[in-house]
Amino acid sequence: MSTELAKETRAAPTRRRGRTGDLLVRWSFMVPAILLLAVMLAYPIFYTIDISFSRFDLSSFGAGEWVGWENYIEVMDDYRFWESLRVTMVYLVIALPLQVVLGFGIAFLINAEWAGRGLIRALFIIPMVVAPVVAGGMWRMILDPLWGILNYWLGFIGIGPLDWFGDPTLAMAAVIIIDTWRWTPFIVLIATAALLALPKDVFEAAKIDGANWWSTLWSVAVPLLVPVIAATFVIRWLGAVKMFDIVLAATYGGPGKATNVINLFIYEEAFRSLRFAESAAMAVIVLIVTMVLTGLFLYGSRKLEELF
Amino acid sequence: MSAPAPSTAHRTRTSTSHRLRVMGGIAVSILFLFPIYWMVLTSFKQQVDIFTTPPKFLFIPTLETYIEYMQRADITRRLVNTIIVAAGSGLLSIVVGAMAGYALARIRIRGAATFGLLILLSRGVPPIALAVPMFLVARKLGLTDKHITLILAYSTFLIPYVMWLMRSFFLSLPRELEESAMIDGCSRYGALFKIIIPISLPGLLSTLIFSMILAWEELLFALVLTNRHASTIPVAIAGIAGDTVNGANWGALTAVGTITVVPVVVFALLVQKWLITGLAEGATKG
Repeated sequence: MSTELAKETRAAPTRRRGRTGDLLVRWSFMVPAILLLAVMLAYPIFYTIDISFSRFDLSSFGAGEWVGWENYIEVMDDYRFWESLRVTMVYLVIALPLQVVLGFGIAFLINAEWAGRGLIRALFIIPMVVAPVVAGGMWRMILDPLWGILNYWLGFIGIGPLDWFGDPTLAMAAVIIIDTWRWTPFIVLIATAALLALPKDVFEAAKIDGANWWSTLWSVAVPLLVPVIAATFVIRWLGAVKMFDIVLAATYGGPGKATNVINLFIYEEAFRSLRFAESAAMAVIVLIVTMVLTGLFLYGSRKLEELF
Repeated sequence: MSAPAPSTAHRTRTSTSHRLRVMGGIAVSILFLFPIYWMVLTSFKQQVDIFTTPPKFLFIPTLETYIEYMQRADITRRLVNTIIVAAGSGLLSIVVGAMAGYALARIRIRGAATFGLLILLSRGVPPIALAVPMFLVARKLGLTDKHITLILAYSTFLIPYVMWLMRSFFLSLPRELEESAMIDGCSRYGALFKIIIPISLPGLLSTLIFSMILAWEELLFALVLTNRHASTIPVAIAGIAGDTVNGANWGALTAVGTITVVPVVVFALLVQKWLITGLAEGATKG
């Protein structure tokens, strides 16, 4: 008994040293990520905010004197900024639901059990790993009004020739088509896994109860899938707000400003017009709007998950 | 002919709809693959075979565009740059991100959850908000046009990505694994290296490959932070695509495009099984 106690007391300091040591070890897992992201992510964001409240000094190429809200007021008065936001909105509002619906629809199709299912699933990876800038350039060729193969084929069914990059509406359609081509496979792969994970017996039960195809879809499949659909939407949203490469390669914002999404607009203002202070102000506005919306979507998808 | 029994009728109907589904699936796959096929095909055409009506499917293939363009636009150097940057940022991010993901999944640290949420939110940060200050700082420090700058810039979106994928991966492993190892006298790092990493190898590898692909195709940071020395392939493609407004240099576009796409496709198909499960888990359990 006494030896036991002695051992305890002797062990105590070591254990306390062990505990601080353990705390260090625990933190050592996080520290590299925290450091890197602080330097490369947090600091640039603060620097952007700093620039957005300053007059940009082109001689020192840095933030000059403090000007308060001046840059923000200027940006808010700039109709091109609003126009670009509107274009971005149109793109997001059409492309996101379209891709999610198409993705789940195609997943349903390619999940049909047959010998080639694995192959088709694998093939759907391919568009997903085509660099967006390549996708933009490639489709620019396919959609070319004069020599493009799509217009040639559309001619057979009496459509066109469509001026894909000369007409504002068609140019937006082209951008959405390219983006949908590039990103739907990503949703297909997620949806395929989600569909395979659905419990089979629920569908058997619905069939026995005489539910038709439509009501099975709406009252059985969709409620079961809602969490995945919501999660997919959020992931796709996070990618879509970064829309830049495809537009740059396919339309460069044109014709006029018809496809000039906000990231391209800010890029141009900063690196072509060297209006860094105004670009920083726009970037901060876009940052806040995206953060708020991302937070809302995350909250919404959590709520939906609880609901279903 | 007598009326078929109801059960047979039912079976025929499902098999028709099944057949329709299969055919629809094949049709959609062809639709999605055709653009890539067309790009690769065009890259082997001579200029005279590119601009034709009707578009040519049969022609005498040539490597002319490849040979010409490999020399002209520094494609080889850009390829090397892209490989360096993709491998560098992929490796950096998998190590740093997986460690943080492991910490979020398994180790109790005060404040870690908040940090995790912040990082999740950071995936919504528009890269343009980072590109402007990064450019200015890099310029001031003389770090523009260097591989390391791009590698660090890419880690801003790769680390959060890896962290969240690996966190859900680690969460799916049974806790007893490390617990028993640590009872047996392993340190935290010992348990991680001896037990967790070997089991997680498929997940780690698919995440690494996906990170490298994301870095391989990145455009905005490369456009802003490099100009000659460390410039990557996507920048070249953006340049060629921009040229088509006047020149329509489809040969170059498709050749460089094919060079960019083919290695990634081969890579992705090699690990497709892991990629699909990794993706699905990241989405459904994130």
